Amino acid sequence: MALSKDELKNAIEEKALQSPKPQLYIKDFYACDPDAKPRDIKNVANEMVREGRLAFWSSGSTTMYGIPSRIQNEEGA
Amino acid sequence: MAKRETPLLDQLETGPWPSFVTDIKRQAETKPECWDILGILELSYKDRITHWKHGGIVGVFGYGGGIVGRYADVPELFPGVEHFHTIRVAQPASKYYSTSNLRQLMALWEKYGSGVTNFHGSTGDIILLGTRTENLEPFFWDLTHDMGQDLGGSGSNLRTPANCIGMSRCEWACYDTEEACHELTLKYQDEIHRPAFPYKFKFKFSGCPNDCVAAIARSDISVIGTWRDNIRIDQAAVKEYIAGNYAPNGGAHSGRDWGKFDIQKEVVELCPTQCMWMEGGELKIDDKECTRCMHCINVMPRALRPGVDTGASICVGAKAPILDGAQFSTLILPFIKVTKDNDFEELTEFIEKVWDWWMEVGKNRERVGETMQRVGLPTFLSVMGVEPIPQHVKEPRSNPYIFWKEEEVEGGFERDIDEFRAKHKA
Repeated sequence: MALSKDELKNAIEEKALQSPKPQLYIKDFYACDPDAKPRDIKNVANEMVREGRLAFWSSGSTTMYGIPSRIQNEEGA
Repeated sequence: MAKRETPLLDQLETGPWPSFVTDIKRQAETKPECWDILGILELSYKDRITHWKHGGIVGVFGYGGGIVGRYADVPELFPGVEHFHTIRVAQPASKYYSTSNLRQLMALWEKYGSGVTNFHGSTGDIILLGTRTENLEPFFWDLTHDMGQDLGGSGSNLRTPANCIGMSRCEWACYDTEEACHELTLKYQDEIHRPAFPYKFKFKFSGCPNDCVAAIARSDISVIGTWRDNIRIDQAAVKEYIAGNYAPNGGAHSGRDWGKFDIQKEVVELCPTQCMWMEGGELKIDDKECTRCMHCINVMPRALRPGVDTGASICVGAKAPILDGAQFSTLILPFIKVTKDNDFEELTEFIEKVWDWWMEVGKNRERVGETMQRVGLPTFLSVMGVEPIPQHVKEPRSNPYIFWKEEEVEGGFERDIDEFRAKHKA
């Protein structure tokens, strides 16, 4: 990873906040640190879910990530 | 919740088969919210559109799978199904339950959910249909703490691994499917409970090529038992079948008179590779031509058995027909040893190599079989470090799957065409 874990978390959060859609695929975060392995990105994203900074959104067959308040706003709309 | 009038659904009860409508009405006697399941479905029939929203953010803390969020888009009309989430409970290996375990699970589901179940989902999970968000954590606590059971996989996770009954009841099992399934389930807990992949990923373990869990049709990595020596033949038992003293197929078709057993017609001539024949009253098999169809072994189980040098074939890429139709998994490794003696090392190394590649290359919502199709089998084999073999060729000549690189061909691709034509006319 080129970024530290905290820097990567901030980059992921920024990406999730700026994205036009509130839900993102895990692959959408790969660009946050092109040098990081997909597994590292996945582990950091999942850690952010445990911290409450991201939330899972699942259709049942696919799981996506997003900022909890953004997803809730959309679901409530 | 009031009883719902369901004239359209009621028609489904008039057919010859048992109806889910009848089942749900019966369940509604003790769980009134079940009337709203019927009500919302009746409305969907009238409106010709679903009234379930797509997905949601429900789950239990720390898990990214096992719960599938379902919300009604007309909660004011059907408050009983405003939330109607699905819980997937991981099935025990081979689906062996005790009745006390099932009673305990059903008591839990009566307490926290609608009581509606589906045994089992296509991945093998016990599917519990219909509960509210606030019931998820208490249910999960009781399931894990009181019953020692866990949620299965959903979403872009590794789905609950499934296996056949294997060596516990089947003499044809070529490796211990239960041990393999159990060990890999424990090893890959993180992948089962937290999304890791571009889309769902399944592996299934069948002990022999009969493939009783349909691994070749339904799993991204199919681990199918096989052998690399010869089918064991008991010639004395072959004679007993011919004499009519042993019932073919273990007596499975004995409800009707099929006439005298004819080994030539029912076994030898049905061999897809024609690798069997009778000689001097004995059954002969040219084992190197056998493709493990299992027909002869299924018909004469007391006379024929798989060999003793056993392991598994690994196939990759099956899926159901959402995109581009259904596809079977493709044979990648014809034979590996699958054993706990080395912690299933050969298998897990292969699985993780597939994952690392697919996580990198796979598109969103693309099963690994679709990624393989997109990049082509030669590329996949090359990435996996697997040498191409004739068994990888789907249709020789008409559809060659294998291409050679210049450095693999003696003399490369450079040649003198005049010299070539001197020996080979155009």
